[in-house]
Amino acid sequence: YPSYYIKPVHKKEVQDELAKSGELQKLVHMPTRAALNDQTCSPAQDDLINLFINYIMRDGLKVLARDLVERAFENIKRIQLEKYHKCASEEDKQKIELNPRVIFHQAVENCKPILNLTPIKRGGVRYQVPVPITPKRSQFLSMKWLIAAAKEKDSKVRFHHQLALELIDAANNRGRVVKRKQDLHRQCEANRAYAHYRWS
Amino acid sequence: MRLAAALFASRGNPKEPVPFQAILPLQLKRKVSGKGDKTSDVCCIYEMSVLFACFKSNDFNQAPCAKEMEAFQKCYINHLESVKKKKEREAKGILTPGEKKLSHKQINILLEKFPNFK
Repeated sequence: YPSYYIKPVHKKEVQDELAKSGELQKLVHMPTRAALNDQTCSPAQDDLINLFINYIMRDGLKVLARDLVERAFENIKRIQLEKYHKCASEEDKQKIELNPRVIFHQAVENCKPILNLTPIKRGGVRYQVPVPITPKRSQFLSMKWLIAAAKEKDSKVRFHHQLALELIDAANNRGRVVKRKQDLHRQCEANRAYAHYRWS
Repeated sequence: MRLAAALFASRGNPKEPVPFQAILPLQLKRKVSGKGDKTSDVCCIYEMSVLFACFKSNDFNQAPCAKEMEAFQKCYINHLESVKKKKEREAKGILTPGEKKLSHKQINILLEKFPNFK
């Protein structure tokens, strides 16, 4: 596409918002790109989940990637239902989250790092300096770590099962990925002296 | 050894003080290089230290540190926006009078307008 072609707005709510703010009038008469195959206006569509599917995808095998994520969500539902029915009191039952998409969002949110270490060379020595990161990069790292943790599995365990376990753990703020994020934060805190130096 | 000494003598003995020879013209260029301009992004250190203090006290559990985290993120996003705006202004060539720190592009614009010599 030529660079002046704009991306389409495929969500009804976003279109309504643009109509309210008046931006829609500007976009209506502009040449638009075609929507991607996984972009629909259905309320069941989730952009974050689509992104996650893309990160899992290898060699363009979209069907496999989508299948893995859907199976992972099914596994999450099964595990959560098991916990729910084994619970004795109503209180505990209400605390258990049954919607796998909510668990996925919570897991990604809990694994997002806030700082990162970058190597900066001063006087021939490479220091690891803590540096802030943008929200998008943070989200990407969170999802990448979740996938990497699911891949580090026993060869007899299926990837979608391991992914389900990782997501549930991360949503409850425990598990490998959250530990990895916290270790990174600890290292940043240990190296905070390098950030205090006025690098110029 | 006598041969080498004779060869050196043919060039002429160096006399102190050495006479000055203006090989290149004694003029500065009408441009400034951009090498000294680059400063690494030193920003949000105060917010970072506040965040670290909160983390230390809560054993790196993020839940009670939501305010500090948001402040840190906001600071960084604002910094990025200001850097972007500064770049846009430089690209347009807008100069505000009374500015203390000029980038090399802005100085070049001034030097072009007011050259030192014809």
